[in-house]
Amino acid sequence: MTQSSPRPPSHNDDTLAGEYVLGTLDTAARVEVERRLQYDSALRDAVDRWETRFAPYSALATPVEPSPGLWSRIERSIDTAHRTPPSHENPRPRPGWWQSLALWRATTFAGAAAALILALTLLQTPGTPQAPRFVIVLMTPQHTQAGWLVQAASPDELELVPLGRFELPPGKALEFWTKADDWKGPVSLGLIKPGERSHLNLDDLPPLENNQLFELTLEDAGGSPLGRPSGPIEFIGRAVSL
Amino acid sequence: MAPVTNAVTDNDHDGLLNACAAGDKQALQRLYTLEGASMLGVVQRIVRDRAAAEDIIHDAFVRIWTRAETFDAARGSARTWMFSVARHLALDHVRRHRREFTAGDEIDHHADPLEGHSHHPAPADHFDWQGHGELERCLAHLPPERRNCLFHAYVDGFSHQEIAIRSGHPLGTVKAWIKRSLAALRECLS
Repeated sequence: MTQSSPRPPSHNDDTLAGEYVLGTLDTAARVEVERRLQYDSALRDAVDRWETRFAPYSALATPVEPSPGLWSRIERSIDTAHRTPPSHENPRPRPGWWQSLALWRATTFAGAAAALILALTLLQTPGTPQAPRFVIVLMTPQHTQAGWLVQAASPDELELVPLGRFELPPGKALEFWTKADDWKGPVSLGLIKPGERSHLNLDDLPPLENNQLFELTLEDAGGSPLGRPSGPIEFIGRAVSL
Repeated sequence: MAPVTNAVTDNDHDGLLNACAAGDKQALQRLYTLEGASMLGVVQRIVRDRAAAEDIIHDAFVRIWTRAETFDAARGSARTWMFSVARHLALDHVRRHRREFTAGDEIDHHADPLEGHSHHPAPADHFDWQGHGELERCLAHLPPERRNCLFHAYVDGFSHQEIAIRSGHPLGTVKAWIKRSLAALRECLS
């Protein structure tokens, strides 16, 4: 799915790179450029060139002396920060991060009930520090059944909690997508194992926002080849801010 | 405004960033001492909120620390990379928080109330852009109102719509100007 592009960027891509650097792209286009930067070396080169060309004009902004405490805040944070490998070695979406669909077919009723109780408990205590700031209940499109609870304790981390059974047909996979109101199209968050809790890091995306759309679609094993949903929607919901 | 001359060369930044990648916290502190105020100036200009700007500088330095080893000197200077980390965090912030300009207000090229106004005031430069780099010769070929669009975007972090509102030019015109200006700069530089 990743391909590097030794070719020089097209004029369109070069302009896109320039607009990315200027900052005039809308959120969806920004997200798309950042996704492509992970594997498209020609686009990356174009962005680097525009960054270098415009960088001297940073001097047009008047320097502002930081508050005395800012460095100690940074120092405290880096003591606990984890280093990440170069982002292009860890591209997203990342189908195949789990091995066997068949392993994850079923969950017990007890497990689902426990998850639901946990979810409701969290919903009732929004003031506690651990409480999610956003929740999303993913329902079947006919809203007859809740399939998953998605909770976000921070704007860039999600936890998916299965609420019921989902039988995955052979050779198929569930792919998780999200789209904020002003994005042009959904962005893949990878494949999801039925019946298992998943943690997703949204570092590469803009922080969650209210009403952001989430959906699970049924795709061929390995995920949609199109970079957008190609199969039927199994579960869908929107983020609610608590 | 006089061109900013830095007492430190980019080589120092490269070396300090490499030291960060090796886990040297003092190297990060040195970069912060060298560039913290300039970076905060860039971010503050875009987000226009002191507390938010400092939060972004915090996040930027944490990111510079955790991603120092991904920096590749072949792709640009360390200083440019650091500033771009902070600037893009600031842009993400304003795109999320200046929603009132765009949300539910779908872009309509025909509904611009300013469309048809042909008597804009004589164009003048809004930015003291001269003396800053290789782009200068090419920027000089652009009409002032188009240069203004580029700098309102780059320096102020304005969206197309904000530039249109601020400049009184129709949104479609602003979008086309920016695209064509970038193409003209590319042409001029090649």
